[in-house]
Amino acid sequence: MKKLFNSQETMVDDMIDGFVAAHPQVARGKNDKRVVVRRKPKNKDSKVTLLIGNGSGHEPIAMGFVGEGLLDANVVGDVFAAPSADLILDGITEVCGAAGSILLISQHSGDVINGGAAAMLAEEAGHTVKPLFMYDDISSAPKGEEAERRGAPGTMFIYKILGAAAEEGMALGPLLELGEAVRDGTRTLAAAVSPGISPLTGQAMFSLPEDEIYLGMGVHGEPGIGKAKYGPVSRLVETMVAALLEDRPVPEGERVAVIVNGMGGTTLMELLTVYRETGRALASRGISTVAPMVGTYVTTQEMGGFSISLLTPTDEMLRLWCAPSDTPHFPAIKLD
Amino acid sequence: MKARRFFEKLEALYGDEQARLNELDAAIGDGDHGSTMLRGLSAAVKAGDGSQAKAFMRASGGASGTLFGLILHEIELHLSGSERSLAAHLGRSLQRIKELGKVAAGDKSMVDALEPAVAALDAGGGTSDAVSAAEGGRDSTRDMAARRGRARYVENAGKGHVDPGAASVCLILGVLAGEEEAR
Repeated sequence: MKKLFNSQETMVDDMIDGFVAAHPQVARGKNDKRVVVRRKPKNKDSKVTLLIGNGSGHEPIAMGFVGEGLLDANVVGDVFAAPSADLILDGITEVCGAAGSILLISQHSGDVINGGAAAMLAEEAGHTVKPLFMYDDISSAPKGEEAERRGAPGTMFIYKILGAAAEEGMALGPLLELGEAVRDGTRTLAAAVSPGISPLTGQAMFSLPEDEIYLGMGVHGEPGIGKAKYGPVSRLVETMVAALLEDRPVPEGERVAVIVNGMGGTTLMELLTVYRETGRALASRGISTVAPMVGTYVTTQEMGGFSISLLTPTDEMLRLWCAPSDTPHFPAIKLD
Repeated sequence: MKARRFFEKLEALYGDEQARLNELDAAIGDGDHGSTMLRGLSAAVKAGDGSQAKAFMRASGGASGTLFGLILHEIELHLSGSERSLAAHLGRSLQRIKELGKVAAGDKSMVDALEPAVAALDAGGGTSDAVSAAEGGRDSTRDMAARRGRARYVENAGKGHVDPGAASVCLILGVLAGEEEAR
């Protein structure tokens, strides 16, 4: 596989160089070149700051969401590897002021341990920082064990809703409560059709026969709930929506916000088809859709596939989800 | 100064012990525990005062590097003139490791060596008592089945093999005890 990098040693830093040069909303942190911050930060003594650390290779998440109305910082790890605790601590030190910070942690074992350790070391150094563990992938642990689940693209609801609320001046405690409420109202299920190629090894990250689809695979190729036969997308989406609603029932007459996320190698033409089928599967149960986000945001290189995330929003969540933001990659989301 | 000497001695010891620790780890895990620790320690000795444990965390990478970094962080504070006791420092790292790693005594991990060492210090023992207690804990991991990490999936969940993380705790405390006696 031909990949366009200078070297393994520099690929992450080369990418960040390009990213901050291309986008006026962002800059590198002062103390650590692996921290991406807003170019024009707000007063951190009056605004709660939000940050997240993650391995690289999944762009545009999460550095693409740094900017007004969304994240204050992203701590960028090596390819598919959680940033170390001291690196996340550098990110916290960069943006945490008197109003405090929330460290968003998408649940994967490295992120949980390194992020948790960073929050402990930051508290020890006198910062007010609270971790918010995010999980939404219904295939990674059974119903009833939600807190054991992995973070998946439905976590974007939390980024955006908390980002907008923090921008409006909401305090740390209410923000954490809001984040937990969004998390508890969100469910995600993914389907993979073809592997991504690791930038480190040049090899496919898993293999899958031509006539099979992997249901519930994680962003690093973690096993999901099993394989399904390849067939019409309407049938696949119907199966996925049924599983999502079985895990967290949504009453007839309710509305849901939907994210259809492409994993990197699936076209917009396909993703829009998936959104159409998602809307139809929901409508057949008397559920309407509102303020959807359809596109390629959480990727694993050129992995083929998509995920569907559903949130039953309160009016306040919906308002914040659709509030304006200015970041390199988060789209404008419109109410009807 | 004392912290710097500690990291230098520990790095030298891991230079000697690297292969043996990798071998221990190969029986139940990735087989890289010795190399990972040495990589972290080599970065630590090059780092500035007060940031040696942090340099260790960054260079060793991964969850186990972070958990060992929490122990080294407390020892660094202790050797840099902290007013808190060694028992308090190591006790804090023990609590953090248990919380973050979701691991308890008996799970076949570093906690099986660290927890008795902290208990020995809490009971008024000296650093050498802590080392003896840690070594007893390390040896007890031989008959344990792993409940966390990759060792869960190997034959008999690793029974019959000493946990390399518990062995590392003994090495770290051993160097610390040597430094305290030399004082």
